[in-house]
Amino acid sequence: MTDCVRYAPMIGAREGELKSEERTGLAEHLDGCAACRARAAAQRATAGLVSEALLAQANRRDFGPFVDGVMARIERRRSPRGILARLRAAVVHHPRITFGAALAPVVAALAILVYVRTAHDEVARVLELNSEGVDMVVQTSDGPLVLIDDEPEGT
Amino acid sequence: MRRILAAAATAALCAAPAPAQADVPVRVRVVKGSRQTPPRFDPRLGDLKKQLSRLSYSQWDQVKEQDLTMAFGKTEFVELPSGEHVGLTVVDVRGDTVTFEVSMATRNTQSRLTIDKNQRIVHQVSPEKGGVAYFMSARAWP
Repeated sequence: MTDCVRYAPMIGAREGELKSEERTGLAEHLDGCAACRARAAAQRATAGLVSEALLAQANRRDFGPFVDGVMARIERRRSPRGILARLRAAVVHHPRITFGAALAPVVAALAILVYVRTAHDEVARVLELNSEGVDMVVQTSDGPLVLIDDEPEGT
Repeated sequence: MRRILAAAATAALCAAPAPAQADVPVRVRVVKGSRQTPPRFDPRLGDLKKQLSRLSYSQWDQVKEQDLTMAFGKTEFVELPSGEHVGLTVVDVRGDTVTFEVSMATRNTQSRLTIDKNQRIVHQVSPEKGGVAYFMSARAWP
């Protein structure tokens, strides 16, 4: 009986749950204990019944509409909408981002306008060089002084 | 919508005519700078003295002076003593300011310089050879 108290909880243990000596001891105990063999048989029968019952329940469930439902949702998301509808949705869902995005080109245009006006006011100081060979430009109050290098390339 | 935009663009283009670009009188001088001694300064170059004195040449002589009437966008060529030509073009005029483009084909050089009425450009137009270099001065509305 003492052995039954020790080994009964081990009946039905899964692979790897028992140590080697526990597994050997359980086998030896089952060989000599009819009560524990009966317990083991009952557990196996119960486990089989539960497994079968779960499988039967899963089989009764029809997963066909599930897949169709998922695919339908994906298609709905992919379906193109009009630009106005998307714009409206963006404004509704992300009003701050939309406002910022709309404001950015206006700010950029204003910045360019201010820059151009400022540049025009100081046009006498503007110097544009799009050349090769110009080494140095000395700005003086009398006008620019442009110097070139002494050894031009290719000559 | 597109028609409205097209009409607006057309109206904007028609309402903003290109500004008329009048001819610009330009005084062009070719100046020779030399490292020889003694120091000498051509009295005809008095108005360029402040700019030229920044350079390390000690003798300055005016080689050539031309008064041009430059049409907007048309390139005038100035011949140097070496036989090379320097192109000078008025590319923009706004009020009292003018933008010149100085081109030296032999050096693949194009400089755009904007100055106002009382300024002038001094542009080196030849590399130094034997201690001598040539410069071109351009002044609008002299």
